[in-house]
Amino acid sequence: MLTEFATVLVFIVLGAVTVALMLGVSRLLQPRDQTAVKLSTYECGEVPFGSSWVQFNIRFYVIALIFIVFDVEVALLYPWAVIFQRLGLLAFVEALVFIVILMAGLAYVWKEGDLDWVRAMQENPAGKGGK
Amino acid sequence: MPLGNLASVSRFLPELAVTATILLLVAVHVVGKNRQSSASALLSLAGVGAALLLTALQPSMPAVSLFEGMVALDGFAVFFKALTALATIVVIFMSMDSAELSGKSQAEYYVFLLSVLLGMFLLSSATDLVMLYLSLELVSIPSYLLAGYLKGRKSSNEASMKYVVYGATASGVMIYGFSLLYGLTGTTQIAEIGRALATGKAALPLFLAAVMVAVGFGYKIAAVPFHMWSPDVYEGAPTPVTAFLSVGPKAAGFAVLVRFFYTVFASPDGAGGPWTLSSPVDWTLLFAVLSAATMTVGNLVAVNQKNVKRLLAYSSIAHAGYMLMGFVLLTPAGIQAILFYLVVYLFMNLGAFYVVILVANGTRSEDISDYAGLGSRAPFAAVSLAIFLFALTGIPPFSGFIGKVYLFAEVINRGVYWLAVVAALNSVVSLYYYARIVKVMFLEEPAEKAELAVPAFPRALLCLLAVPTLLLGVYWEPVIRVAANSVRLLAF
Repeated sequence: MLTEFATVLVFIVLGAVTVALMLGVSRLLQPRDQTAVKLSTYECGEVPFGSSWVQFNIRFYVIALIFIVFDVEVALLYPWAVIFQRLGLLAFVEALVFIVILMAGLAYVWKEGDLDWVRAMQENPAGKGGK
Repeated sequence: MPLGNLASVSRFLPELAVTATILLLVAVHVVGKNRQSSASALLSLAGVGAALLLTALQPSMPAVSLFEGMVALDGFAVFFKALTALATIVVIFMSMDSAELSGKSQAEYYVFLLSVLLGMFLLSSATDLVMLYLSLELVSIPSYLLAGYLKGRKSSNEASMKYVVYGATASGVMIYGFSLLYGLTGTTQIAEIGRALATGKAALPLFLAAVMVAVGFGYKIAAVPFHMWSPDVYEGAPTPVTAFLSVGPKAAGFAVLVRFFYTVFASPDGAGGPWTLSSPVDWTLLFAVLSAATMTVGNLVAVNQKNVKRLLAYSSIAHAGYMLMGFVLLTPAGIQAILFYLVVYLFMNLGAFYVVILVANGTRSEDISDYAGLGSRAPFAAVSLAIFLFALTGIPPFSGFIGKVYLFAEVINRGVYWLAVVAALNSVVSLYYYARIVKVMFLEEPAEKAELAVPAFPRALLCLLAVPTLLLGVYWEPVIRVAANSVRLLAF
């Protein structure tokens, strides 16, 4: 059984040697004139400024989550549509059930105001801010 | 022979009832005006009650495989469906009484709760790796949301975050184990995997796969060393959710653990004799060590806790350790002991948490020191808590004792004496910290003498939980008979 793992060992050794070799050769061959421009993050692009650890709007996540509702729907309905004619009435009903379940989710986010970028004030402001 | 999709629907009614209730709850949330009304709690009660009824009416004999081999309908699955549905009903009642949850949006809470229930239904009956993974996630993801349901409370947020991180890691490791199994056998059906492995010899990769899968299940039942999340989650989550997590998903975790390991690595014997290990992996020793470690860590750390919820969290880790004793024996009687213990554990653990909720409603505190003098301030709650705690310890004549007797008897019958000794020593340790709460309640002077009112309805529910806890310690024969009938797994 251990001999089966010899293959793995050879793989690991070969991998390590390859990486070391590539980095070493490049180290030997590379020209080294390090100016300020060379050392910047994007040598030919925008000058980066500020920290990348900034908070950004949580609404991006909500939108990404809502996207899943439509994404899943399309991912399943495309193959369904391609062979729809062979599947018959039963598949039609099954797809309807599937869509109704997803629509319940859509109705929920709509009612919650998550489809608007600027969220409307709710009737119940107790849920917002603070506790 | 697995049934096709259409033929399966009529045997899938409990799950359909839960699904329909979830959709109705979403509709109630969208259409309803008052988000705090108890309409959604009543609706969920009706839905889960219907699911329980349909489960009870379902013919589970002979066992059949549904949806082209995705889920099984056998006595084992029916037992766990009934158990988890019952736990959910109790938790719904607890949630209605909890001050923590009042004023929060109700329908969303019950949507999450019932989604976990649906996941547990599927988890206890899944017979395909893909279905198994999906249902495990269906249990996990709403659990994360439930743990963080008190958005304004920091510890609740922390609970949710830790739960997500641990959960993601555990299920990642588990699904890697699944992929190894699939690679070794070329099928996702667990029965076929078992057959393929019985003839193969790839011991080391197989052992790796078994350990990795055990990580995922061990996380769900909170076995050491995958228990790290549970004290923080149990402490931070709203108390009804803590009670739910400590019973429901734990039971479903045991269901999937038993079904998976016994189907894949052992061959169930229909005649009721011991199973035989059919693969080169000796996982029983692995789990015997896990069991001993789980109960020891759980009990020893519980000794020093100051917060009741945290103490009960460690005690529930310890109880998972006791139940694992029955898992390592490869006998139907061992599994039967687990099933019986789960029933007993449901009543005593939910009961203990219910008293914690009632006390916290009055005192806004979960510290053990605030239980001082509860015996005079709220005698009814204090006496019932004492009953539940003594049952958890396993003192006769309470039901916990009988549960432990069955587990210990099997361990000793099979000659695993060291495990029985460890478990016995652990019971002694657990007596210390359970009795400490009782001592604080009855022997210490309260800082505040005012009476703590317990309304009539919670009293009735406490009685409903305390009566089985006492009764099963004296007359347990019907439950053990049901458990014995439920041991048979679907083997096709």
